[in-house]
Amino acid sequence: MTVVEDRVAPTPSGAGAKTVASLARDWAQKDPNHIAFREKDFGIWQEYSWADAWELIEVAAHGLLSLGVEVGDRVTIHAEDRPEWVILDIAAVAVRGITVGLYPTNPAAEVEYMLQDSGAVVHLVEDQEQVDKVFEIDPSKIPSVRSLIYVEPRGFSDFTDERLIFWENFLEAGRQHRAANPGAVAARMAAAEDDDVMTLVYTSGTTGPPKGAMLTNANSMYAMNKIIDEKRAYPDNTAPNTSDQILTYLPLCHVAERIFSTWTMLSGGPTLNFAESIETVAINLREIQPTLFFAVPRIWERLHAGVQIRGSDATRFKALWLGMAMKAADKIGKAKVENGGNHTAQSRILHWIFYPLVFRALQERVGLRHCRRASSGAAPIAPEVLQFFMGIGVDVYELYGMTENSAVATVNYPGRTKLGTVGEAYDDIGLRIDEETGEIQTKHPGVFKGYWNKPDKTAETFTEDGWLKTGDVGEWVDGTHVKIVDRMKDIIITSGGKNISPSEIENSLKASPFIKEAMVIGDGRKYLTALIGIELDVVGDWALRKNIPYTTYRDLTEKAEVLEMVQNIVDETNGKFARVEGIKKFRMIPKELDHEDGELTATQKLKRSAMLDMFGDLVESMY
Amino acid sequence: MQGRPKLFTSYAADAAIFPTRTQKVLVGLGVLILFLMPFDIPFISGPVPRAFPDDWAIIGGRYTILGQIPILNEGIPLIRFLGDGNWLRPMTEVFIIATAALGLNILAGVGGQVSLGHAFFMGVGASTAAVLGGQSSEKLWGLGLPVWIWLPGAGIAAALVGILVSPTAVKLRGLYLGIVTLGLVFIGIHLSRVFPQISGDTEAGRRYPEFDIRLWKEETPLINVSSDDTVTGILGLNTFEVTDRQKTYFFCLIVLIFMAFLAKNLIRSRTGRALQAIRDRDIAAEVMGVNEVKYKMIAFAISSFYAGVAGALFASFVGKIAGNQFNLFLSVEFIAILLIGGAGTVSGTLLGTFFVIILPELVEKGTEWLAEQESGITGAIADFVLTEGPGDFGPVSTANVAPGWALNVFDWNIVIYGVLIVVFLIFEPLGLFGIWIKIRNYWKGWPFTY
Repeated sequence: MTVVEDRVAPTPSGAGAKTVASLARDWAQKDPNHIAFREKDFGIWQEYSWADAWELIEVAAHGLLSLGVEVGDRVTIHAEDRPEWVILDIAAVAVRGITVGLYPTNPAAEVEYMLQDSGAVVHLVEDQEQVDKVFEIDPSKIPSVRSLIYVEPRGFSDFTDERLIFWENFLEAGRQHRAANPGAVAARMAAAEDDDVMTLVYTSGTTGPPKGAMLTNANSMYAMNKIIDEKRAYPDNTAPNTSDQILTYLPLCHVAERIFSTWTMLSGGPTLNFAESIETVAINLREIQPTLFFAVPRIWERLHAGVQIRGSDATRFKALWLGMAMKAADKIGKAKVENGGNHTAQSRILHWIFYPLVFRALQERVGLRHCRRASSGAAPIAPEVLQFFMGIGVDVYELYGMTENSAVATVNYPGRTKLGTVGEAYDDIGLRIDEETGEIQTKHPGVFKGYWNKPDKTAETFTEDGWLKTGDVGEWVDGTHVKIVDRMKDIIITSGGKNISPSEIENSLKASPFIKEAMVIGDGRKYLTALIGIELDVVGDWALRKNIPYTTYRDLTEKAEVLEMVQNIVDETNGKFARVEGIKKFRMIPKELDHEDGELTATQKLKRSAMLDMFGDLVESMY
Repeated sequence: MQGRPKLFTSYAADAAIFPTRTQKVLVGLGVLILFLMPFDIPFISGPVPRAFPDDWAIIGGRYTILGQIPILNEGIPLIRFLGDGNWLRPMTEVFIIATAALGLNILAGVGGQVSLGHAFFMGVGASTAAVLGGQSSEKLWGLGLPVWIWLPGAGIAAALVGILVSPTAVKLRGLYLGIVTLGLVFIGIHLSRVFPQISGDTEAGRRYPEFDIRLWKEETPLINVSSDDTVTGILGLNTFEVTDRQKTYFFCLIVLIFMAFLAKNLIRSRTGRALQAIRDRDIAAEVMGVNEVKYKMIAFAISSFYAGVAGALFASFVGKIAGNQFNLFLSVEFIAILLIGGAGTVSGTLLGTFFVIILPELVEKGTEWLAEQESGITGAIADFVLTEGPGDFGPVSTANVAPGWALNVFDWNIVIYGVLIVVFLIFEPLGLFGIWIKIRNYWKGWPFTY
């Protein structure tokens, strides 16, 4: 515990504040042979020890110095998760720069906005696809960008842009700089201060352009202390350590993935395993069998749907066992939900019976057999999905936080879980629910410094007495747990004056494996309606089995059988809610939603206003 | 990183011969059992102790289903029969034939080059062994060299002949290659008649060298394999008898294990991958940069080396053997082994050999046992199945020469053999190993189907 307290205590100016870079250096000294990262390349998980990793970080830091990165300069990274991402991230912090992550799916227009807004000096592009986005931008619009580091050299031989520098050459420049100026990076690290901004995390921007939230070194240390080191949040009461394995697959520019992979690795020493891509997550999960696993609801829904689809394809004998096990899982799940996440005697016996028969194999197939703590966050999740995973013996703890408070807000503790809530506030943090508006507000050392270059927006996010306004409406459950009602601006007020939270209804719809997107509409209207998007794989599989021929996504959504099936799911959902919250009509979204078309944010959240613009006629046809 | 069988951090781990601990343990256990087989182990080799002496007892009683299985009344067969030596010879034969089959597996199973000439290469090996290790006389050539020369020598001689043959494989494919290699068998039999100095008498053959391990040509061998012996146990506390059969068994077992590891290692190597590429599509393999001429030559050389070693072992094991024993039937037997066991896999080849060699023995022993049954259910079955004299209508005759519709055991074995090949080709082209793969995949997928 002394280490933890030590980390949070303010560091005297000049002695070198604790930063992610200093933690990396300490690991390289303490445990140089421990594996820091694994990356699957040419079919093999290639390993980087801490000694290798720190060597690369230090060289990259010198490389940044050789590119003239000054204190406070922004280094942007536009790449999938890969060791170079983490290396450059930590190297930038080592030279007191600021890391800015871009989503790999960001289109050129958003790249331009973020490069301009952050005033990036060095921009890392992963491959030709990402550099093409930069080349679409007139260089005079992004004058600050001096260097473009590229990692995958394929397709670059024809480019003559002077800003380009290959990763290996960048490292070589770093080595030369180190030989010429030994100790230059160490000097920067020694000058680091707690109040230095270490990263800008751009909010996904469901409304308006993204804003860069400034997180400081102190913020990151506080988040590690509260979220990662909190032993009570782990079922076996053990904080992350060197024997843990993490699969890194969500975009690292998101604060949640940064906390649950990079910062967890730096805090406790688990090994980071980089998934090949988002498509291979299921396969990589099975290979790595991580011990700590964080996923967004979309991933949990997909894993859940995967079990259901493959289960329905099982041969008769297997289907029989699976059917019995699923019934048992249902009972176990219910018992655990009612009992705060704990087993009852009956559910424990059921678990003992079905663990060797089915659950063990099922967990292995999903890739969570060795998982000692699974968590879900970043968006609301349907309780049905959590209950399913609880039933098969993978307890998923929902937690809550946002970029602006370094994700430090609430967590469900093992044994005190309340389904449908995001748990209890961490110890000794300020968290309150505004009595008038119902808004959740926080105040603690993890709260960010402000939005980059947007003092007016920053001022808007704080109350007069200095509390952070999260923009989420919440309510207390039993006085201890927080339940999120919805985003404040998303709450629907019908023409009858009734306040309705759409996300709860939407999540209930999305709990069905057939439904990928749902958007409930009804603000200022007489009744509620919904736009519904189907999951192409699952519904396609279902149609195949029912002998329903179809050609395209759109064609599939227009099939009478599909409409009937969706109607059944809607009816079932309506049964769970009060009558005013029932969905009277729905329309199918005729296309798959996409970030590039502006319907989704980079984190796959619906942009409601954009949706209303785009599908306005569909919506009007329902009223 | 325990409990993560799919996580490979190096190519060595990815291509390990036995990737999981379970596999290592199982193979270790199998080898241990094979090594223990020739010993009399009191508990295992005696009659099975009966929990229920009553004839109607649930397990092991005389009138229960299990009680009808003769071997259960006398001990577990595979482990018991070896102690007294009756089954040692078939088992040793399995090891020798398996060594040869491993060679054909590399050529035909891994490399896709069908060869019917495997018996010929065994003959080359046997002849080389006879010349290098055999005793010379007026009519016979022989150098009397020790086993560590003639056994590898037999393999090398066969490999050289294999290299000579290999260019035809580059020119010809499939059936045509099969026909050409078929010709080798007849050339071999002809040569054995032309050179009686090597092969001995056309009918009786000649004596082949024994397995005794000598440094050079000294009188008393370093390790005596060819005669019974008394061996002093560890610490000199006890002595036990070791027969020549048991020693031959061990000798052949050790050779087989060595050769099987080599084969397994070869398959996962660069050469093995090149051969598999040629098997799957030779033109595509060449486009990818696999030198077809070179690798087909390597495949023939290695395959013939295995055949040569096995031929020398076989001749020496039988003792006296004529040149025309290495005939087409033997070649076809190898094809059957590969088809029944599962072409392309070492474990399949071993399984197939065991099956093909032991099954006829079991049929024979089973018929003998049935003929002794007079009463009870087994007696009734015997009445129904066997033709023991005129008037019986059973399909199996106990006579040595059986005219009429009842076939004797030897003929039945050939019928069974043919039926098995047809059945496996139609229903399970991957052989016994394929059945195992199916079982394994079924449980690997649990509780899903894929």
